[in-house]
Amino acid sequence: MASVTSKEDWVSRLKSEDTLIRDAAISDLRELLIRGLSKALNNHYGNRKFNPEDVVQEALIKILDKIDTFEGRARFTTWAGTIAMRVGIGELRRRHCKDVSLERISASDSLRIDLPDSNQPAAGQEMDQKVILSKLSQLIEDVLSDKQRLAIRGLLDGMPIEVIAARTGSNRNAVYKLVHDARIKLKEGFHQAGIAAEDVKAIFA
Amino acid sequence: MSLSKDQVSLLLGMVVSAEPDELDCDGCLGRVAEFAELHVACKEIPEAMKAVEIHLEQCMCCKDEFNALLKGLSVIAS
Repeated sequence: MASVTSKEDWVSRLKSEDTLIRDAAISDLRELLIRGLSKALNNHYGNRKFNPEDVVQEALIKILDKIDTFEGRARFTTWAGTIAMRVGIGELRRRHCKDVSLERISASDSLRIDLPDSNQPAAGQEMDQKVILSKLSQLIEDVLSDKQRLAIRGLLDGMPIEVIAARTGSNRNAVYKLVHDARIKLKEGFHQAGIAAEDVKAIFA
Repeated sequence: MSLSKDQVSLLLGMVVSAEPDELDCDGCLGRVAEFAELHVACKEIPEAMKAVEIHLEQCMCCKDEFNALLKGLSVIAS
């Protein structure tokens, strides 16, 4: 079982020039992360068995690489855990999406919405839904870039942002911003058209 | 290939829930450990940490990692 180690102890032990001390600290941290990752990520994507040993080495390398950025605002082990979770979930996401392709989607019709037949009479809530979907369809066409349409389609197909980033030669921060900007643009478009968020929620509830 | 009904609903949800977010995913990662400890201790989230809370509401990937962290914290923070 890993020893109880204070914040200062963890950092100083992990940075120690004495290899015996450093290796023991790495071993303690590895054991802790394996148990934490195992508890957190078993059955995380579709009941797949997760082997934390597969990712803990990569997590440890990242933690040691970033150790000088640790400011002590949380426990060291919590901070290390955030990095390990990202590495662990990242691996699960890559495996989960390995057979999913973005290439099969063309940017031009990636967010096409099949609108109800305009020749069919509609009333009440159905009519309201038709108006909102028509506006959404128009906004997608008018205000989003091809990259934004493609990234959103990837998300709607179940691809996590970091997988979309890897497939498009981008990075997670950039894809997050791309998608978030698109969401804000669409929301502003609704707002300018007099469509409130509460109305959308109520009409599609 | 057009969107399914469920995808349209999901997209509408993404649109109406969009709020300004000053953090990106790496910015969130840098502060989420502190946020998680406050959350676990049921302490009030200080103004300075609200940005993390907002990002977690906006970013499904970071939220997923945060929830996993909460599950693992009982072991990791021991």
